[in-house]
Amino acid sequence: MALVSLSGLGKTFPSGTRALGGIDLDIREGEFLSLLGPSGCGKSTVLRLIAGLVPPSEGSVARMAGLEGAMGFVFQEPTLMPWTSVLKNVMLPMRLSRVPRAEAEGRALEALARVGLKGFEGAYPRELSGGMKMRVSIARALAARPRLLLLDEPFAALDEITRFRLNDDLRRLWREAGWTVVFVTHSVFESVYLSTRIAVMTGRPGRIAAVRDIDLDPERNADTRTSPAFGAEVRRLQADLAAAMGDGL
Amino acid sequence: MGLGRLLGAAAPVIVGVFFVAGWEALVRIGQIPVYILPGPILIAQTLVADWGTLWPSLVVTLKITFAALGVATVGGVALALLFASSRWVERALFPYAVILQVTPLVAIAPLLLIYITDVNVALLVCAWIVAFFPVLSNTTLGLRSADPGLLELFRLYGAGPWSTLFLLRLPSALPYFLGGLRIAGGLALIGAVVAEFTAGTGGTASGLAFRILEAGYRLNIPRMFAALFLISGAGIAIFAGLGLVSRLVLGRWHDSAIDRDA
Ligand SMILES: Nc1ncnc2c1ncn2[C@@H]1O[C@H](COP(=O)(O)OP(=O)(O)O)[C@@H](O)[C@H]1O
Ligand SMILES: [Mg+2]
Repeated sequence: MALVSLSGLGKTFPSGTRALGGIDLDIREGEFLSLLGPSGCGKSTVLRLIAGLVPPSEGSVARMAGLEGAMGFVFQEPTLMPWTSVLKNVMLPMRLSRVPRAEAEGRALEALARVGLKGFEGAYPRELSGGMKMRVSIARALAARPRLLLLDEPFAALDEITRFRLNDDLRRLWREAGWTVVFVTHSVFESVYLSTRIAVMTGRPGRIAAVRDIDLDPERNADTRTSPAFGAEVRRLQADLAAAMGDGL
Repeated sequence: MGLGRLLGAAAPVIVGVFFVAGWEALVRIGQIPVYILPGPILIAQTLVADWGTLWPSLVVTLKITFAALGVATVGGVALALLFASSRWVERALFPYAVILQVTPLVAIAPLLLIYITDVNVALLVCAWIVAFFPVLSNTTLGLRSADPGLLELFRLYGAGPWSTLFLLRLPSALPYFLGGLRIAGGLALIGAVVAEFTAGTGGTASGLAFRILEAGYRLNIPRMFAALFLISGAGIAIFAGLGLVSRLVLGRWHDSAIDRDA
């Protein structure tokens, strides 16, 4: 059974913008699914509908029992509380869901170590670089032990070196922990590198134009990015995207 | 500390020294009579000589100022919380807060002094009227300025209204509130002094403004200047003190509190 099942999902904002028109998509347990599409095509809206942050105007979002409260969200910006330490930021979701303090602290420290921020627990967000802030944001989502992790272009504002490193970290964490990921991006390369499956979207209103399984070796590294198989996947997706944009215009 | 910053700190002091020296020179060379313009040295001497009357007056004025600031802070924050909790309350009440703010205090003070029989309470109300608005408007703005991303995050993790208020809205409002408080501090002093002037000799007959009036009637110009000096000094001290509080509270997290050169 799917973890989340979107059927006939549509969203029209009060302003009259029809952001999504009829999305059908199953999110399978354990997969790394990317939503790929140009900006403004409704990717963020899909993610926010999955999380339940906005209500759908048509269709439905069916979540597996027990999934509410077990979803993590990483926004495009780090979205940290500037007035408190990295550790307190990471502990926030657990504090809100009343995890005992000692346990929350232990889990926060562990999550920070996993994203490579051991020793920065006491730092304040403004003392960190953009990439480090993003890691804190990821650690905050991880520490709450989500079954489903939703990421909205989390690395779009970072330089390429940092982005590649965080891509590797994210993939490693996903393989270790075995949760399900929905990752929003507008980068073909990033989505191919990370995903097990990619849904290509087009806009006005947002629809899913194609869904592709990515059959690459699960062990991915710098060599993957230059391998012929990777190049072939990228070309296939670029063609999907071009075709989708073509009949979208 | 670089030479540039040293000069930056010294610049206002140098201007002050030149100004005071020029003033003294003008008074001496021009042989200006004391009842027209006393020199700074004479004013300083008067300050020392009249300290016995001026100091208790300063205390009276400061008591009203701080009481008004306290009430303005509590009332302003409470009203801001009410405003932030409901757009309707804000719409219904905000115009009246604005009316209180834009009507010149000197125009309301005589009325308040008639209706409120206890002069001290009347003075307090006058000072409060001018001081509470910046706290109210800044805090309301601050409570509404919480990061929308964080608000969504709080919702996603099932935060209730109280957790959202204490863990998100109040901390977000803190820099705004402290900015409002700094303005309110100076305004509370001005409010207290203006109200004392309006109350005049019918007032408590003890604050600094009363001393200025009294000295004016007696053509004791040096004492007028000495009292004026104390009022300005008190204003500067309040502003600096609240600035320090702001820096201590915002500490490591807010841009306004960070020393960029450090
Ligand atoms: N809160 C909102 N109110 C009105 N229109 C919105 C809102 N959020 C998004 N939209 C519109 O919906 C469309 C899809 O937006 P979004 O999901 O953010 O796209 P993407 O994440 O793919 O860039 C855009 O045209 C955008 O302007
Ligand atoms: Mg988006």
